[in-house]
Amino acid sequence: MHRIEAGAGDSDYDTHPFGTDVMWQTNASVLRHRGHEEQTWTETFPPTRENALENNWVDMWLQNENRPIKDLYCSMQRKIEIRRKQERKMKKKTGLESWKEEKGRSWRKFRRKMSVVLQHLILWKGSLQTIGGQFGTGIQSYFTFLRFLVLLNFVTFLLVAGFIVIPSIAFNELGLNQTVSHSPNNSKCFEYNPNPQGLERFYVFIMNILMGTGFMEWTYMFYGYYKKTSVNFSNFSYNVPLAYLVTTLAYFLLSLLWTVIRSVQGFKQSLITDDSSVNNYTDKVLAAWDFCIKDEKIITLKQRSIRYELKVDLEEEKIKRLHAQRTICQRAGIYSVRILLNLIVIALLCGAFYCIYRSTQESQLLLALESVKGNFILELLAGYLPSIVITAANFILPLLFNITIKWEQYILSVEIRLTLVRCVFLRLASLGMLLYSLWNNITCGDTENKTPCDNCGYNYVENKCWETRVGQEMYKLLIFDFLTVLVMILLVDFPRKMIVDHCSCKLVQLWGQQEFVVPQFVLDIIYGQTVCWIGTFFCPLLPLLNTVKYFIIFYMKRLTLFSNCRPADRTFRASNANFFFLLVLLLGLAISWVPVLYSIFVMTPSKPCGPFRDQAFIWDTISMAVESLPKVARNFFEFIASQAFAIPLFFFSCIVMFYLMALGSSYGKLVKTLKDQLQMERSRKILLNQAYQ
Amino acid sequence: MGNKQTIFTPEQLDTYQDCTFFTRKEILRLFHRYRDLAPQLVPDDYTNKPDVKIPYELIGSMPELKDNPFRQRIAEVFSEDGDGNMTLDDFLDMFSVLSEMAPRDLKAYYAFKIYDFNNDDYICKSDLEKTLNKLTRNELTPEEVCLVCEKVIDEADVDNDGKLSLEDFQHMIVRAPDFLSTFHIRI
Repeated sequence: MHRIEAGAGDSDYDTHPFGTDVMWQTNASVLRHRGHEEQTWTETFPPTRENALENNWVDMWLQNENRPIKDLYCSMQRKIEIRRKQERKMKKKTGLESWKEEKGRSWRKFRRKMSVVLQHLILWKGSLQTIGGQFGTGIQSYFTFLRFLVLLNFVTFLLVAGFIVIPSIAFNELGLNQTVSHSPNNSKCFEYNPNPQGLERFYVFIMNILMGTGFMEWTYMFYGYYKKTSVNFSNFSYNVPLAYLVTTLAYFLLSLLWTVIRSVQGFKQSLITDDSSVNNYTDKVLAAWDFCIKDEKIITLKQRSIRYELKVDLEEEKIKRLHAQRTICQRAGIYSVRILLNLIVIALLCGAFYCIYRSTQESQLLLALESVKGNFILELLAGYLPSIVITAANFILPLLFNITIKWEQYILSVEIRLTLVRCVFLRLASLGMLLYSLWNNITCGDTENKTPCDNCGYNYVENKCWETRVGQEMYKLLIFDFLTVLVMILLVDFPRKMIVDHCSCKLVQLWGQQEFVVPQFVLDIIYGQTVCWIGTFFCPLLPLLNTVKYFIIFYMKRLTLFSNCRPADRTFRASNANFFFLLVLLLGLAISWVPVLYSIFVMTPSKPCGPFRDQAFIWDTISMAVESLPKVARNFFEFIASQAFAIPLFFFSCIVMFYLMALGSSYGKLVKTLKDQLQMERSRKILLNQAYQ
Repeated sequence: MGNKQTIFTPEQLDTYQDCTFFTRKEILRLFHRYRDLAPQLVPDDYTNKPDVKIPYELIGSMPELKDNPFRQRIAEVFSEDGDGNMTLDDFLDMFSVLSEMAPRDLKAYYAFKIYDFNNDDYICKSDLEKTLNKLTRNELTPEEVCLVCEKVIDEADVDNDGKLSLEDFQHMIVRAPDFLSTFHIRI
């Protein structure tokens, strides 16, 4: 280990020897360290393992930065020496100071013990570590995301079970006072009896489980079974409809907060790494090697993928230069090809959406046909028609996108991003289309003949209890999605692996093993989670099913990863993932609010079923509850809901937002100024060095 | 694990807990891993601080390090005399810096030392070439290696002296979001 020979100008121009922390800071402690005290150690900068870090400086640094000894950049021997000196100093201290030190030390010990205990409680910690060790942090991020969703769904289920399901069961069993809905005029709207009459064949039983009809419809699974129970003991009153509504709002808020808190971390990171393309090569050479990987085969694969990435990057540079030299003719040609292909993509999307729209209607029509009703397979296909069409669209269209984008002649990184954006749009929009066609069906928006909706406010002829119908559609989507994942793993991945292993013909080897494509899999689970969020209002036990589904998917994906997959050619960066996919998840959450809020505020609740029968709107429950509050609370809520509050609040939020944006941009300018200053100081140092030699 | 262990004195364990990022249990587990590398060299009783070094060949044969292309540099950086033979203190220090709890600037400092093959406190072009060859198993052509090294120096060299100093490196690490999770060995 060598020393650096310090030039004469060094002491004035050296910065903090330990470098800067994550955020650029010119805090007071750094400024305090400039000057005479630094000179004793600058001669040995950067600190080497044999040379002692001068004692004064070390003490000042430890105290002012408030960092523990373990953060020092020196050998263990030196750290032990420094610690011993600190202990001796502590013994000389006065009573109060030594008491404070003692308290600090025992607090640190307590925190260590607590963190050890908490480590044991983390779900799947060992699994994630093994996956990270073998395949790298990119693939591990997929499984971490899956674990986050399992926990989110489980907590949602606990909320729903605790406040809606269990009280309903308890009140039902106890046979407590239940308000029954009267049916004076429109007696036709109140006929609803989904329970099967008489004995059923076994296959009808299976059909009912898979489609959520028959006996399943009249269980706690679906919205329709819950009653308008309102219990009033002497010191305890519980209003089930109010609880239903408030719990819905609560779990949406919880999901929002939890996702936002997780994404803030990634957002902060992406703010610091302002432009990833600027540091592309340094990242790949100096900061990308995964030291975690132990398996020799995986290391070889990783080395190959680094080589591939560097080659691709060098190629891209060449291609960029070629593109810059394109003539105007060529450019016009390329742009017209791109416009044409984008039109084709839009046409494909419209085609897919139209198919989805028609499939909901066809599904209902087919199920009413006599020829379908008796046949198990046909009935199943007819019932699952919307799910099949959505899954088919989400499978076929990305393949077509991959083909068309090759002709658009973008550079590789733009290609990848554009394909991803198109896939995200496809997934969320296809779900939106399904919901639109469903709601159109329920509110008779699609037919000219609006008589089915006249009597009851919704399409009573086809859906006696429309909320349960929506819940059934979401239930079917969830089951079909789960079955698709299982089928893909069992019937595609495993046979593919066997074929590749045992058949040595060239075509098969070129096809190769399955790649673990993280972005597509993450979009799959975001889609599933959006379906669950939409469906929970109409099918309260859906979060439980989703928890179980994701739990099983974790193990299945892990199985297929270890047995069948090879890592993708292009390394997937975990940091990009964490922020982008949480953003898409938030988008899914926003989309899931639209149908639920529309149902609560605009649609007429079903008359014969559910906890909101008899009301004009579901939201009326809240209005009625507010009216029963004391006058002060009532006035408060009325004020909050009025425009006198909303408009000033809106303006205030705008002002706060503009202020934060201005603050952010001024910090950005400050950072740039400091960077320029740093560069100037360094160049000055070199010039001075040269001048003195 | 109960309180009955005769390998270290309680003060030693406390010291190690203060100077590394490991808990008591992990330190004892690491000691057993160290001892398993050379049971005949390493005594069972460290209370009187024996001076024992395990040669580099045995350290390099650990499953966590055996296929790592940088294992020799890692051992050299963390060993006292720079030749890869490690005492227990060096061993604990190494895995402490490479654990997930070490802060970014500490890891950046040691990563810099690992990539500095000629130990001149700068990462120059030849250091980068050696790093790149280790990363890609010598499978890039010499022109490509040269090109990539030039690009790296272009991107990261702030003071324009043709090589990367510790500050340039740390400046670059600040903007590498994955660094904390990749510069990490689990044991």
